[in-house]
Amino acid sequence: MAFETREEGTYTVVLVDESRLDASIAESFKVFLFDQIDSGKNKIVVDLSQIRFMDSSGLGALVAGLKKTSGSGLFSLASAQPAVKDLFDLTSMDKLFSLHDSVADAVQGD
Amino acid sequence: MTDSNQLLRLQIDSQLSNTTLVAMAVRGVCAMTTLSPVEINRLELCLVEIVNNAIEHAYGNEAGHPVEICIGLDKNSMNISVSDWGSSIPSDVIDSQEPEEINPDHPEAWLCSGRGLHIVNKLMDDVSYETDEGKNSFIMSKALRY
Repeated sequence: MAFETREEGTYTVVLVDESRLDASIAESFKVFLFDQIDSGKNKIVVDLSQIRFMDSSGLGALVAGLKKTSGSGLFSLASAQPAVKDLFDLTSMDKLFSLHDSVADAVQGD
Repeated sequence: MTDSNQLLRLQIDSQLSNTTLVAMAVRGVCAMTTLSPVEINRLELCLVEIVNNAIEHAYGNEAGHPVEICIGLDKNSMNISVSDWGSSIPSDVIDSQEPEEINPDHPEAWLCSGRGLHIVNKLMDDVSYETDEGKNSFIMSKALRY
């Protein structure tokens, strides 16, 4: 399965076990995220460490997750590789998302 | 240094999973140039965005249609065209250059799609779009420095 979850304290860590988060899997990733949120998991960290390439569709799925949790939970990202960080910078999405260097950083203080 | 006027022509079926094929091909051609790793990543992103557009919008995500990609190299630039034979992009969409305004306090305004063309316009040195006898071509180029 391309998407996996594990619990770390009160956080749910979602690992995207793919090298590319692109339009071919963005919709299924969004559905997976929504399923997690709808099942009551409202503190989510998305582990991006495996993703070498992300397009605007992949980014859109993350924005959808962030929107869905806004006001009622936490949604942050961890371990983005350089090309992924560049996409966030290019689109100014770094203003919306909390980007952490590691999952450990993201759940710190829990 | 590359020879001038080299051209690679590729064709894929209109399925999103096929974008990886052309992404890897363009990365291979980029390796022949002086483009930096960051520039190569950005070129790959631009190509994928435009191929995605062709599949999703020109063909409505319907498989079984051709998407043609031409990658040309000359002494000064890398030129990429992505062509389809589906619905053309409306001119107001092509001409829209307004950058997205990001307001962290208004989640309802955050866009979940529609950033692809803005990214390409921002990253490529030149872009154009033309339709000729049912063939729509998005053409983009990146200057090379030697």
